[in-house]
Amino acid sequence: MPSRPIIQVENLSHTYMKGTPMEHVALKGASLYVEEGECIAIIGHTGSGKSTLIQHFNGLMRPESGKVIIDGEDLSKKKVELKTLRQKVGLVFQNPEDQIFEKIIGDDIAYGPFKLGLQLKEVRERVKWAMSVVGLDFEEMKDRQTFALSGGQKRKVALAGILALKPKILVLDEPTSGLDPRSRNELLEKIKRLNKEEKLTVVFVSHNMEEVAFLADRVYVMAGGTDVLTGTPKEIFTDKEKLHRYQVGTPETVQVLYRLTDLGYQVNTDAFSITEAADEIIKVLAGTKEGSEHVQRI
Amino acid sequence: MSSEFEISRSITIGQYVPTGSFIHRLDPRIKLLAFVILVVAIAFNTSYIGNAIGLVLSLFLFWASKIPISYGLSGVKPAIPFIVILAILQLLFQGQLFSDGKVYVNYGFILITSESIRLVVVSAVRFIEIIFLSSVLTLSTSTTELTHSIQSLLSPLKKINFPVHEISLITTIAIRFVPTFAIEMEKMMKAQASRGADFGTGGWWRIIQRTKEMFPIIIPLFNIALSRAEDLILAMECRCYTPGGDRSSYSVYRALAKDYLVLLVGFLFSLLLLFYPFPF
Amino acid sequence: MKKGLTVRDIVIAGVLGAIAILLGVTRLGYIPVPTAAGNATIMHIPAIIGGIMQGPVVGLIVGAIFGISSFLNATVPLFKDPLVAILPRLFIGVVAWLIYAGFRRKSEYFAVGAAAFIGTLANTVLVLTMAVIRHYLTPGVAWTVGITNGIPEAIVGTIVTLAVVLAWKQIGKAQKSKISKDV
Repeated sequence: MPSRPIIQVENLSHTYMKGTPMEHVALKGASLYVEEGECIAIIGHTGSGKSTLIQHFNGLMRPESGKVIIDGEDLSKKKVELKTLRQKVGLVFQNPEDQIFEKIIGDDIAYGPFKLGLQLKEVRERVKWAMSVVGLDFEEMKDRQTFALSGGQKRKVALAGILALKPKILVLDEPTSGLDPRSRNELLEKIKRLNKEEKLTVVFVSHNMEEVAFLADRVYVMAGGTDVLTGTPKEIFTDKEKLHRYQVGTPETVQVLYRLTDLGYQVNTDAFSITEAADEIIKVLAGTKEGSEHVQRI
Repeated sequence: MSSEFEISRSITIGQYVPTGSFIHRLDPRIKLLAFVILVVAIAFNTSYIGNAIGLVLSLFLFWASKIPISYGLSGVKPAIPFIVILAILQLLFQGQLFSDGKVYVNYGFILITSESIRLVVVSAVRFIEIIFLSSVLTLSTSTTELTHSIQSLLSPLKKINFPVHEISLITTIAIRFVPTFAIEMEKMMKAQASRGADFGTGGWWRIIQRTKEMFPIIIPLFNIALSRAEDLILAMECRCYTPGGDRSSYSVYRALAKDYLVLLVGFLFSLLLLFYPFPF
Repeated sequence: MKKGLTVRDIVIAGVLGAIAILLGVTRLGYIPVPTAAGNATIMHIPAIIGGIMQGPVVGLIVGAIFGISSFLNATVPLFKDPLVAILPRLFIGVVAWLIYAGFRRKSEYFAVGAAAFIGTLANTVLVLTMAVIRHYLTPGVAWTVGITNGIPEAIVGTIVTLAVVLAWKQIGKAQKSKISKDV
């Protein structure tokens, strides 16, 4: 590794309700690292420990055994500046309902900056900026009530509330679940821009493989409370046998390409992004008689 | 503790431990009734022998329920400091009220007599008896069984217009919503902490400020509960629920001979503890 | 007393009972202020709010749920005695309702505040009285606890009850964001 990773997890374990009959092992020796500026996806079957893992990143959970080092600070130490840590690591919850607790949108987004002890003027600037990043109109939305928002808007408010803290690392738990396709694409574009333009380090949990293929630089696959596989989306999605073993799906594009190979066509299964996959399919189509007529028409 | 937010997981009401023992298989109404009369009897007994009998009985019942002893002890362990403090307080200050009996120490205002020692010992033992008895009840009976039993035991009171069914419905709603609210609270505290909230940093002596610091947690708790209540009221009215209507029960308990026998034994023990003049 | 309980009575009593249990089994029910016990309890507040919102019967039922839950969960010998843990709690909501009903016509918020203050004191006084009757405490100790614990607890109880009632009444009302104010 050339530089020191901004997130480093070593051999982390966590057991809920230890010592009682309801004991439940959530993490068992998980390790991972995230370089500054990277965009990392964590995927895995339900109950594989993803949510427990990411709650360690901002100190909502403290390492029971193993190590979590965030930007040089070891969280297994007794005394950790939690407030600074939580400002540095912004955690967006899976369900925005769980995250929005103020009655008015402006107040909710301003909650974090106020807690940082900023002046009203600066708070307002930050709220304005955060709202513009997620695509909410400041003047129009700031005094609206939070409970009447649509699902997509709630997600935007929740994300803005975290962005207003100006974190270095953005951690998202299933950022697009329950969103309609259009809002999903919008949100993904925004996250991508934050990662590429604002140089935010992004870690996200997802069940949606298209999303992973679109965003992630690198992927961790979790199973049974530990990391079992890591690599670029290309490397991960081409390992059909392992993905099946860990009950992880593949993007639809990859599925189509695999089906084509099974049918005896020569396609490049690495080409999982939508445009690449389309090119591959066009190549196949061009090889057949009716297909080539089609392609010419396109 | 690894996390400051594990509320929902620390809730242990109705922590049913299925062991399939004789006690588990008893009619829950009988269990509840026997529990109530035994607790009352123990609460009023002040003799050494009586409480020794009570202690043996409650330990026996715990053993018979086949529940690991650690469950019973986990109720006693955190209480030890309180037992000690209470004992010291009683020993120091209760002597004047229990001046009859043999005087052991009489120094200044401190008066320790055989009767005040009895008070100390009996209070501690009584506490342990009730801990074990209530553990047997709650660990061997599911909360559903308990609410059904309450309803069934109170049903004769219907004749005097006592709202038996309503009370049991209230209990069901209360128990049903505890975990829900706990999870909501946990999520909200996490959400607030994630955005830089810290709980309880004001000076120890500043009552009003300290109280205000709890507002972000307590007020939403009530708000969540009351808005849930509005939804539930609507849902129940939509299904034409009318209080006071005649209802049949989904689960019907039938007490067997062994149940009546257990009740009889419990009853006899209670009479013994309440009325027998123990010599010591 | 009203004849019979309405659906609203039943449901409100149920959810307030749930809060009473929740406050009792977690540390949410304690506010760390200086008292003899080291904490002020707010576990009795659902009973007060029940009495204020739905009348004495609901207040009494929520109090009973609080009492039984505190009896079953007690780790202090004092509260493992049903006469101390359950009996006094039945009166919290009833007392709160009496006070509320008495002052209501004067001022709504004064009535709520007074009901919370007196309701909390009723809890303290009745529990301590039973503790004395049952020989856990001497009258002297009970007085000391009553004053050092009861007064701060009544203050805390009043503030929390008022805040909860105010917040509940304001839901849905249009307001402006804090950041909309002039700098």
